[in-house]
Amino acid sequence: MKMLNWILVVAFAVSAGCSDSNLSESTSGTGVAKSSQYVTSTEPVGAMPVGEARQSAKDGEPVTLVGRIGGSVDPFVDGLAAFTIVDPKVPYCGKDEGCPTPWDYCCTQTQVKDNIATVKIVDEAGKPVAGDARTLLGVKELSTVVVQGTSRRDDKGNLTIAANSVFVRAGE
Amino acid sequence: MLLPWEYGIRNLARRPVRTALTLGALATVVMLVFVVVGFIRGLEKSLEISGDPDVVLVYSVNSEANIESSSITSRTPGLLTASLDGTWLRFGVPHVSPELYLGTRVQTQSGDGGLGLIRGVTHTAPLVRRSVRLIEGHWPRDREVIVGRLAAAKLGADSSAMAIGQTIEFEGEIWTISGQFAAGGAAYESEIWCRLGDFQTATKRQDLSLVAMLLSPEALPAEVALFCKERIDLELHAVRETDYYATLQQHYRPVRILAWLVVVLVSGAGVFAGLNMMYGAVAGRIREIATLQAIGYRRRAILLSLIQEGVLLAAAASLLSGVIALTMFNGMAVRFTMGAFTLRIDSIAILVGCGVGLLLGVLGALPPAFKALRESVAISLKAV
Repeated sequence: MKMLNWILVVAFAVSAGCSDSNLSESTSGTGVAKSSQYVTSTEPVGAMPVGEARQSAKDGEPVTLVGRIGGSVDPFVDGLAAFTIVDPKVPYCGKDEGCPTPWDYCCTQTQVKDNIATVKIVDEAGKPVAGDARTLLGVKELSTVVVQGTSRRDDKGNLTIAANSVFVRAGE
Repeated sequence: MLLPWEYGIRNLARRPVRTALTLGALATVVMLVFVVVGFIRGLEKSLEISGDPDVVLVYSVNSEANIESSSITSRTPGLLTASLDGTWLRFGVPHVSPELYLGTRVQTQSGDGGLGLIRGVTHTAPLVRRSVRLIEGHWPRDREVIVGRLAAAKLGADSSAMAIGQTIEFEGEIWTISGQFAAGGAAYESEIWCRLGDFQTATKRQDLSLVAMLLSPEALPAEVALFCKERIDLELHAVRETDYYATLQQHYRPVRILAWLVVVLVSGAGVFAGLNMMYGAVAGRIREIATLQAIGYRRRAILLSLIQEGVLLAAAASLLSGVIALTMFNGMAVRFTMGAFTLRIDSIAILVGCGVGLLLGVLGALPPAFKALRESVAISLKAV
């Protein structure tokens, strides 16, 4: 009887361990809500950093960009799934430096100007999706995202991506 | 068996001086509560009604919610109108108001003056600021201003100094008052409005502080916010007007907390004043209370009668204070950093004021009554 108990305990532990590993596998790679149709589970290859895209991307071209959500105290647009991203090469203040909002890049604002882009999630018709990007994509400030979409440039050098898929790097 | 209702009432009349003094003390405490709660309610209401949910304010991203320090280019209104479809358009006129907003020293003809809030506006301002009503005079012409109902209070000047035809001085220029406006208690009521071009000339500025846009019902404020995010070179920030004033509400939260603390402290002081008076009143009636016990009245009945006296006195004091507060303090202008607002003795203020008053009556009567009833009847009957 004692032996049977031990077998049951071990079997339960193994099954629990297996189910945990399955769960982590399914969420690794995104770490976000998978329900959104705009979130992709595989990272697109050949993503371009924001700073480089601001130099080379042309208006109306499909682009894949990588960047970190931030650039101001409130990088998200309330009411629409849109936000600003900053080139990952631009450093941000650490929390240990006493900065309560490190995603505003207050210590490196001069570098942000040439390394920032706006991402707006669009539907099939090309219209911005209503809602909050944080809940729709499961992202937050300083999340690193890889976005795929169409670039829009203006003569002032501003870069906007009308994105239809977003990959969120795990643990960032 | 309870003591007759008239017994308590007659008791109050038996010692008119003591009763009048207690009534005066209680009324003063309740009045203080009315004034402080009226202050809080006035401040809250002023910020609450200042925003229009259909209006979006666009100002500099660097000004951090302080519109006075915002500076944006004068081409911004045109750019916004051309780039966004959501602006309310009527008879071909887009409801977009470019404004220059500044806090500066204003002096009246009589020499009074202080820090005034000046807003340089165009003819589109009343289309966007829908609560603003010109109640007297006419729209400003060259070197003329219209003043809000509370502008005089904001400057700490006499209202006659801000009458139509009077002149005021700011930014080194003399301006004639051409009209007076109201805005339903909103923050604009403490402002002075003049023509944008005149104000830009006087301040030697060509920029704007903000652009206020009235959106059509199907448009979203988020679309304006997205435009500002996309046009990073313009360094603009867009916020719904109601959200802007909600932020100010948060900013003034410590003031409101402090004011509620004052209400608690004043009420506490009132309880002690009431206790002091009631102790005096009961101490002189120990033999009377013992006699009532001797002829068969239970302690509970005597206690109820003493509470009845305290509550009657407190209720009278609350009514007296309420009448004075409603007739003399309600609507009184108060000068504040962000402008001016009026004291509001509304239902909440009356509820809190009268509630505190009645509480003073009960709490003030209880301890001395307990003390008097604790003594034995035999000893109390011999008390001097």
